[in-house]
Amino acid sequence: MSRITVENVTRRYGDVRAVDGVSLDVAHGDFLVLLGPSGCGKSTLLRMIAGLVSPSDGRVLVDGNDVTEAPARDRDLAMVFQSYALYPHLTVERNIGFPLRARKQRKADIRRRVAEVADILDLGALLDRRPRALSGGQRQRVALGRALVRDPGAFLMDEPLSNLDAQLRTATRTEITELHRRLGRTFVYVTHDQVEAMTMATSVAVLNRGRLEQLGTPTEVYDTPASAFVAGFLGSPPMNLLDAEIVSRDGRLHAVAEGVDVPLGLDHPSHEGEQVRRPAILGVRPEHLSLRPAADAGPAPEAGGVPNGSAPNGSAPNGGAPNGGAPAATLRGSVRSIENLGSEEIAHCRVGAAEVAVRARRPAGFTVGEAVVLTVRPEHTHLFDRESGRRLVWQPDRDPQVPAARVPVAT
Amino acid sequence: MSGMFVEVAPPTLPAPIVAPAAAGGRGRTARRLARRLGRGVVPYLYLVPALGMLIVWIYRPLVETANYSFYSWNLSPTQPATPVGWHNYHRLFTLPELGGSVWRTLLMIIGLLPFTIVIPVVVGLLSREVRGRARSIYQALIFLPFLVAPVASAAVWQWLLSPRTGAVNRATGSSVNWFHERWPALIAITGITGWHVLGFAVVVVAAGLASINGDYAEAASVDGASRWQITRWLTLPLLSPTLVFLVLATALLFAPQWTFPLIDTLTQGGPVDATTNVYYLLWEYGIQSFDAGLASAAGVVFFLGFGLVAAVLLWISERVTIHDD
Ligand SMILES: Nc1ncnc2c1ncn2[C@@H]1O[C@H](COP(=O)(O)OP(=O)(O)OP(=O)(O)O)[C@@H](O)[C@H]1O
Ligand SMILES: [Mg+2]
Repeated sequence: MSRITVENVTRRYGDVRAVDGVSLDVAHGDFLVLLGPSGCGKSTLLRMIAGLVSPSDGRVLVDGNDVTEAPARDRDLAMVFQSYALYPHLTVERNIGFPLRARKQRKADIRRRVAEVADILDLGALLDRRPRALSGGQRQRVALGRALVRDPGAFLMDEPLSNLDAQLRTATRTEITELHRRLGRTFVYVTHDQVEAMTMATSVAVLNRGRLEQLGTPTEVYDTPASAFVAGFLGSPPMNLLDAEIVSRDGRLHAVAEGVDVPLGLDHPSHEGEQVRRPAILGVRPEHLSLRPAADAGPAPEAGGVPNGSAPNGSAPNGGAPNGGAPAATLRGSVRSIENLGSEEIAHCRVGAAEVAVRARRPAGFTVGEAVVLTVRPEHTHLFDRESGRRLVWQPDRDPQVPAARVPVAT
Repeated sequence: MSGMFVEVAPPTLPAPIVAPAAAGGRGRTARRLARRLGRGVVPYLYLVPALGMLIVWIYRPLVETANYSFYSWNLSPTQPATPVGWHNYHRLFTLPELGGSVWRTLLMIIGLLPFTIVIPVVVGLLSREVRGRARSIYQALIFLPFLVAPVASAAVWQWLLSPRTGAVNRATGSSVNWFHERWPALIAITGITGWHVLGFAVVVVAAGLASINGDYAEAASVDGASRWQITRWLTLPLLSPTLVFLVLATALLFAPQWTFPLIDTLTQGGPVDATTNVYYLLWEYGIQSFDAGLASAAGVVFFLGFGLVAAVLLWISERVTIHDD
């Protein structure tokens, strides 16, 4: 039983803050993935939980007990290292049995328990080998076996699959998920692979430069990224991010940029002399854009017609404005290159000064250089603050007398 | 409807390019052969200087030594060497001092092991936490005696260990006459040699410890092992190649050879042969008494003997050590 709580933890190396004020609460049985680019502090955070690195600030709690000062061996956690750290002079059997041996268990008990674990991981035939006589995948299993052998409160894993080839990685991913389901233990899993994060996690913590950008389920993190960083990190290709400005036009809000006009489906009755101009970042996922040739002018009929609640994020409903539905947003540009992914293709288009990727089912029938119009439904657009990068949500005014003059920042 | 299915052919190599030089004739082939031969020879040409040095300075003297061991000769260029068969070997093995000198060599090896293994390992384990500049300074300080010429240190130690005025006796209040009593002399020679090589061994052990991947100790501590368990079960086994190297160096280099300048300047093998090890014996009989035949025979025997010791130690090390890869 382990619930892991990280409270406002910071780790400094000289002037560098490897981890900067991160707070997490991992409930018992959760599968938390720490996700982020290289050097964002994932390993450092995990090692602080494990007790291998001590925080410069903040606390680490296991089941409500403050273990910040406790050595690693007293935390009842198991860790799988990225390098596996199998003891090179010990056989597979003794490697797996090591945690029990360190706890001075009886030889017969150790032998029995190792046999059980070897059975689960299909290592029975390898027990007498030394690590160097194992393949990468087998080493990975032994490392997993060493963690499993003593039924710890929680499993910590630092990119355990990064040394495996694509096929083995997929297989092992499924196995670890299965293991988590069966054991019901808490897992904290470090990766920079978003596919692992999306498929394995019950919750994902996205880190950037030591800071926690967002904590949520894989769906939340993908569908409503809390910052431009998260939006640009997840997805392949990731979300298109364009510098845009929010303006009000005919009483409605639009995000506009060169070649871009995206009605946001938000009413904003303008008063004399009042002009809204707010710099922002417009985000659209490649799969939410549809392509048509520029010659085929006119609004796309299927893209409009969202009567209500078509705010940039679905969770903040529009202030009940009875607008007849926002017209489809359009981006005008030209195709620069096309990538064939087999089932789909990615068209990279130039819109104004920005590069926009579009995911389309094959054959999309476009050629490089062709002028195109990209359309997107307003509810599939995301807005982020230009300065802070945080997500912008529309907050309707409480008092209907006062018109909304600002788009507030929600963090 | 008429028609048929046709298999898609697997990709094939493009048609081989026919060598246009096929009609080039014999001169061409010969030249190509010469070029290939030349290419084969070149690597060996690079090795020639090194091989030449080895042959001139190592193998030729070795063969000559083996040769002289079957002659009686007093090293004088004017005297002819007379063949005596196995006589030199017979004399060597019936030397009364031989057994004693081998034994004392063994004692010196055992006496040196604390300096080359035990203290360096303890110091290395304890000083792992020292980092940065402090570590470099400390290692430089401890390495320093290794750089002092043995004859110079012999002079200093002679003064330190002098019976009445020496700092050692004054500090301990003893009246041991270090270089003129049997056991104290052996202990002094071994101790001074140990003082010499200690820094070297400490640095070697520190390097060995530094080369052990820190992940192992971290993994073990998460696995619940105590510091002592980690040391016993991981650090020392992983350090074993380094330790075998140090045992080898002690047995083949430090105990028989590094003691020599100290013995020669401080005790001359005495008192009553108490500090005569095999190398000093070789020196006494061969060089000092101008008996080239006996010295050569001893040289050959020691060469084979130490070779055997080295082979056994290496064999053991192959068995017990793990190379971390
Ligand atoms: N011992 C250390 N001394 C100084 N800086 C360190 C140390 N360990 C980590 N850092 C710095 O802290 C930051 C975070 O490192 P960390 O290893 O946690 O990254 P990571 O997210 O695990 O990256 P990766 O995906 O490449 O493993 C990096 O900028 C790194 O340079
Ligand atoms: Mg890492």
